[in-house]
Amino acid sequence: MASSSSSGLTFKLHPLVIVNISDHYSRVKSQMNPPPVTSTSATVNGVEPQQQAPRVYGCVIGVQRGRTVEIFNSFELLYDPSTDSLDRSFLEKKQELYKKVFPHFYILGWYSTGSDAQESDMHIHKALMDINESPLYVLLNPTINPAQKDLPVTIYESELHVIDGIPQLIFVCSSYTIETVEAERISVDHVAHLKPSDGGSAATQLAAHLTGIHSAIKMLNSRIRVLHHYLVGMQKGDIPCENSLLRQVSSLLRRLPAIESEKFQDDFLMEYNDTLLITYLAMFTNCSSTMNELVDKFNTAYDRNSRRGGRTAFI
Amino acid sequence: MNSVEGLVTQIQGLSSSASDVLSLHNVLKQADDSLHAESTRLLPFLDQLDPSKHSLGYLYFLEACTAGPVTTESASSFVLIIARFITSCAADQIRLAPDKFISVCKRLKDQVLFLEEPLRAVAPMLSAIRKLQSSTENLTTLHPEFLLLCLLAKCYKTGLSILEEDIFEVDQPRDLYLYCYYGGMICIGKKCFRKALELLHNVVTAPMSTINAIAVEAYKKYILVSLIHHGQFSTSLPKYASTVAQRNLKSFCQPYIELANSYTSGKITDLETYVHENMEKFGSDNNLGLVKQVVSSIYKRNIQRLTQTYLTLSLQDIASTVQLNSPKEAEMHVLQMIQDGEIYATINQKDGMVRFLEDPEQYKTCEMIERIDSSIQRLMTLSKKLTVLDELMSSDPMYLGKVGRERQRFDFDDFDSVPQRFNI
Repeated sequence: MASSSSSGLTFKLHPLVIVNISDHYSRVKSQMNPPPVTSTSATVNGVEPQQQAPRVYGCVIGVQRGRTVEIFNSFELLYDPSTDSLDRSFLEKKQELYKKVFPHFYILGWYSTGSDAQESDMHIHKALMDINESPLYVLLNPTINPAQKDLPVTIYESELHVIDGIPQLIFVCSSYTIETVEAERISVDHVAHLKPSDGGSAATQLAAHLTGIHSAIKMLNSRIRVLHHYLVGMQKGDIPCENSLLRQVSSLLRRLPAIESEKFQDDFLMEYNDTLLITYLAMFTNCSSTMNELVDKFNTAYDRNSRRGGRTAFI
Repeated sequence: MNSVEGLVTQIQGLSSSASDVLSLHNVLKQADDSLHAESTRLLPFLDQLDPSKHSLGYLYFLEACTAGPVTTESASSFVLIIARFITSCAADQIRLAPDKFISVCKRLKDQVLFLEEPLRAVAPMLSAIRKLQSSTENLTTLHPEFLLLCLLAKCYKTGLSILEEDIFEVDQPRDLYLYCYYGGMICIGKKCFRKALELLHNVVTAPMSTINAIAVEAYKKYILVSLIHHGQFSTSLPKYASTVAQRNLKSFCQPYIELANSYTSGKITDLETYVHENMEKFGSDNNLGLVKQVVSSIYKRNIQRLTQTYLTLSLQDIASTVQLNSPKEAEMHVLQMIQDGEIYATINQKDGMVRFLEDPEQYKTCEMIERIDSSIQRLMTLSKKLTVLDELMSSDPMYLGKVGRERQRFDFDDFDSVPQRFNI
């Protein structure tokens, strides 16, 4: 597997494809019974969790105009492990259906999930070559890596390389960009602004701003602590007295508290209390709404004569 | 006798490590019936066992000993034995047999009630609760027993110390009802009406499948305490109360609801006549003391209403509006209310005028910051617990079953047929 392709094609990937693939994978994984081993128990048993994570397969479709390949959509396919190929008749049926709605779309390639492209994938790749002379292989890595910043999606092309004198088809990585239609941009924006999960970095602007201020104050605090330590040492006599440094420290300290008066204290405390009260109110509302939902659910589940009909919204 | 002696030696031998104690537990479970059969002869064997080391064995023996009916001679000796056992037993051993421990403690309660000395069992019961609880948020069956003993022994302060802890896990719903009901009564005794209201509210709105007597009694007291504390009472229960309670509680407490209605009208004479007429009914429910407090609180309510209309008022006018007998009485009432923090006012004794003031709290002190901060922290922990419970509830099959059934009838696709009718 070489690292970069030389075909000169530019690839544009639409978010719909990524969402489709991840949705397919999540659905299959959650319907598996028993559920696959989580990573914590895997370390205890020493069992590789990859073995139980299912692989899903499907086709990607789009448009090729000149040197630009734009992948718009995708659909799922069943994988037949006995013949090691994808369901051909279903693929052709789906292709016809899509042709009726989107006459410009062609089958550009196929997708799968996993951490890396494997040898067996070349089989499927070659099978698709009669539909498209140079199909694409879109690979999504479903393992969640919180340190990773880019999308875990890679696009592979096949190239004929001569290895040990034998011409072979191997997968080469290609770079791609994300291209969005207006509708896709709105939905992705909406998903991005949902509440960030625990452990994720602060997504909202306010949280980022406050984190910045917090780290700045923390740094100021640690620096002052260093100075304090130094001055205490100087007072005890461990460190030789340096007057120029002392003058600098004293001028710094005189700058530090900007205002120090009774009125300031009053106003400051009042504003502090106001902010705290607002936070308290927000927490109260949040907590009450959770409690309300919980009690509603409890009453629906366990109350023998619960009210029926008309209460559930049909949105 | 041989089997009992054999059991004693086994207990003495197998009480050292945790695994031994587990095997001992199995042995004791099998020997339980034989112990009960020989209950009258077990007393001397108790001396051979050490309650702190052989707690599990001692517990089984003690439970079999005390299984018989309560008599005066046995009661006092048993009270001593059980109290000593509870204070010195090992918590992890008795947690293996919680129901036996609970029955032993209940026998203790029965015996002190028989001897009419409930005070003797208050301290042992408190240590029993501490040993049985898996955490301070756990409500055991012993909690209501303890509160009952505190009520009968009139030591309300110890009862209050237990009530300070928040409860999150409950073993049996009946424990919760009794606990909150007795707790409410203790708080009424200490005149913390806010906490009493909270506890009684818990009983009244707790999930229940059928109406029970505890809830009815609690509702009666709830009406009275809410009149004393808030000056008003709304007859509709909140939405989260169980449907059983919402439908049936009011029919059992009719005289109290009428008392509440005449209270809100503000006329003291009407209220007093009504109370006088229904004296026996209130007395039979042991609520007469509370009702008298309600009547005395109506003066406070009327004075508070005056603060909303007037800025200054003379004591004579207060006395006449509130239907008190003299300005002296009015002054006493107002003074009491200022001390309790219910109103903010100053009394000018020279000309007998009262000036009503605003709340002087400026909310700019550090103590206020600390108060709000600690409340926010408490709320955050509570919120986390609630989210966990909420998620658990959402995946509960009983809930999903009921919701799924309802949703099918109102599925969005079902409404597809409707637009067709409007197709012109």
